[in-house]
Amino acid sequence: MTRHLCLILAAVLLLSGNARADNVDLVTLPSREGVQLTIYNSADLTFVKERRHLTLKRGMNTIQFSWANTLIDPSSVDFRPLEHADKVEVADTVFPGQKPQFLVWHIESRYEGQLLVEVSYFTSGLSWQMDYVGTVDPEEERMDLRGHVRVVNRSGEEYENAEIRLIVGTINLVEKIADLARRRGIPRPQPGSPVALRLRRDGAKAAFDQAAMAEGLRAQGKSVVKEGFSEYFMFSVEGTETIGNGWSKRMQAVHAKDTSFDIVYRMRAHQYGARPVRFFVWRNDEEHELGDAPLPNGRIRLFRENGREGLSYLGDQLLRYVPIKAPIEVNVGTDDLVVYESLRQGTERFNFSFRHGRVVGWDTKTRWVDQVRNYRGKPIHFELRRRWSGHVDYTSPQETSTFDHQTIQAAFTVAPRGRALYRATVVQHEGHNARQNRIDLR
Amino acid sequence: MKRLLGALSLLALGLALAPTTAHARIKLAAQPDRQRVEIQLDHGRYTLVEEERIVPLLASSAARGNNRIDFSWANTQIDKRSIQFRPLAVRENGRFRPLREVDGKPEIAVINVAYPPNENALVWEVYARKGCALKVRVSYLIANLNRTFAYRALANRDETHLTLKKYLQLRNYSGEAFGEAGIWAGFGPKFVKSVGQQTDIKVLLEQFAQVPIKKTYTFDWFQHGALNADKPHASRVLMHYELVNDEQHGLGTFPLQPGKARIFISDGRGGEAFLGEDWARFTPLDDRMRLYLGEARDVVCTRIVQDNKRHMGQGNLFDQELWLRFEVENYKDKAVTLDVVEQINALAAQYGAKAPGDAEWVLGKDTTAGLNITTAKGRALPVLHVAAPARPKDPAAKVEKVTVTLHVRIKNLWKR
Repeated sequence: MTRHLCLILAAVLLLSGNARADNVDLVTLPSREGVQLTIYNSADLTFVKERRHLTLKRGMNTIQFSWANTLIDPSSVDFRPLEHADKVEVADTVFPGQKPQFLVWHIESRYEGQLLVEVSYFTSGLSWQMDYVGTVDPEEERMDLRGHVRVVNRSGEEYENAEIRLIVGTINLVEKIADLARRRGIPRPQPGSPVALRLRRDGAKAAFDQAAMAEGLRAQGKSVVKEGFSEYFMFSVEGTETIGNGWSKRMQAVHAKDTSFDIVYRMRAHQYGARPVRFFVWRNDEEHELGDAPLPNGRIRLFRENGREGLSYLGDQLLRYVPIKAPIEVNVGTDDLVVYESLRQGTERFNFSFRHGRVVGWDTKTRWVDQVRNYRGKPIHFELRRRWSGHVDYTSPQETSTFDHQTIQAAFTVAPRGRALYRATVVQHEGHNARQNRIDLR
Repeated sequence: MKRLLGALSLLALGLALAPTTAHARIKLAAQPDRQRVEIQLDHGRYTLVEEERIVPLLASSAARGNNRIDFSWANTQIDKRSIQFRPLAVRENGRFRPLREVDGKPEIAVINVAYPPNENALVWEVYARKGCALKVRVSYLIANLNRTFAYRALANRDETHLTLKKYLQLRNYSGEAFGEAGIWAGFGPKFVKSVGQQTDIKVLLEQFAQVPIKKTYTFDWFQHGALNADKPHASRVLMHYELVNDEQHGLGTFPLQPGKARIFISDGRGGEAFLGEDWARFTPLDDRMRLYLGEARDVVCTRIVQDNKRHMGQGNLFDQELWLRFEVENYKDKAVTLDVVEQINALAAQYGAKAPGDAEWVLGKDTTAGLNITTAKGRALPVLHVAAPARPKDPAAKVEKVTVTLHVRIKNLWKR
């Protein structure tokens, strides 16, 4: 490790209760017992907790903490005794104006001796993201789904053996941590400048530096423990992890073996274009071997075992946050074996209204026939949504409902190598005859 | 074979080349050859390459750690996020057998994947219960390795049937040579070809013999307008071959993909003449593929608005009645049927109507009796099928002018 020493925790045992932070200090450097990183993916934020042993005397103790050349938010730095907490109290925290990136805690102690303390703070420079890979069988009935967390280290430093926790959810920050970190004393580097990058690196390095020591041999992929709190979910990576500078590391976090799913065809010209698209649909629930945590944002790629000892690529899309029990829907695009056509079979106009001898309102009645042809060897479930503008009376012999005030929807099954017809009669009230902006389903 | 891509190597375990030595990775590696390569072209936009290799693994131990398998590439565009690594089988007694669990734990396990900075590479950390030869499959999406389709149609002299050949054209400008590789287009047979770098390969995917065709002649006034100033009522007559993609018509095994179609005709003496080429559109099963052949010069059609009459209704509402006369002359030695398309919406617009949607119309009583009219493309797009006999064999006889009348009443029009 050749990096700048960026985080120093020093216990200064002063004989008096004097709170001054002099320029000449005599300090001891207590060793770090462990580091835990909690990385948020919704903001450039890492919450660092480190544990150290300190030796305190009875009465007032002065502890100085400094973090030269790092991006730590000074206002987030916190001190907490993990032992003898009822006898140790932080009297105040002083940020001496003449010393940037430096603070002094005055600790009132009724205990004398060594105790374990925790220092926590916010820093930046690490991130994480999810991705998913689904492989379906040749018959497209069962799926093996794997989700991976990928921790990205762009800090400029190699880190070893840190405990990693990843937060799923969006947090609200009123100010950026990196901005807060630059507030006291040092010039503000421009974003992207070498100084800013260095500060960013060092902030992250501080989190990892001298973390817990070596782990045993891994014989299986790491398990990722998921637990919920408040509006968030936390993924904790088993054991400790080493991630080199600039490297990213991908670990399996979700695995649903041999789970079922449905295939749905959707024709929504206003959303997906002129051809029906195929969706793979399942849920983030126990029935589908999932449901122990929300699925964070991430790209999902679907493959199909092609039955010839290989894979076929089906498609990919960005999977947005999926709560527990919520549906997962992946659009794999158009299917050459399912054909949709819509045809106007006749138009009439009537119910004219006039003003000063000119047509100002009328009704147009059109008969539509939609045809779906299925050339697959299995029945398909087809969902039709169609948008109509203006004031519309809509009649269909088939079961139809409104999705919203402008959109009708119907669903039906198309037999293997068969075809289905969907008929509708649409009366559009135009000009002055239009009294509403909605569909009246008759 | 040029090796730019897919250097799959087992890093020497003793060098501990884990992510901890980030920027200068020193590698001592054995490069296992590809045992099998499959190029999957069934997705219209992405090409998936799968390769199998035999990777020697050492037994994992606390002292030595796990195996690290390095996969790197250069000068190719592999989607790094799409790369998959799947252990398939372990060699035992000279044969490969499926992976199994020992004491409830897999004998082979992929622990994680690490991505080094500024390199087109990744490193899998793999646990092996004991040293073995492991068959693995590496899959990835790659750019600039893609396919197109092309057709070659040879019509018989009578233009009643043709032989349709469908070709798969593989373009490999990915920067990598794959050697002998299986190629699959998503349908049809699978091929094994040597896929070199910067190589185009064209293979016959399917051949359909004796495909019945219909040669069509189409006249559409509103699409093409007047032929020229001398013939202000005539317009172009376009020729197409029409194929139906179903079993009855000798096709129907899979949807026909878009591609360039070159059309030839047999000269009856063992030779062929080039008729022209067209872009074949995507044709689902049971649909028709129309291949444009060019403009017919021996079939002439004129369209004359014989008469029109406006029937005023309440206010500015009116019906427009029209008598359209079509005169068809066939100078060919074979009878033809001309498809005359009349765009009712365009016709209504010509008379000032601006109502949205289709025009409302009915057929008038003066329409030629027995005239075959279809509306397969919608009620507002009637097609008149006009049969025109071949030119008479008698040199003195004139070519018959077939005249038909389309009498329509377009209802409920008004000017805005």
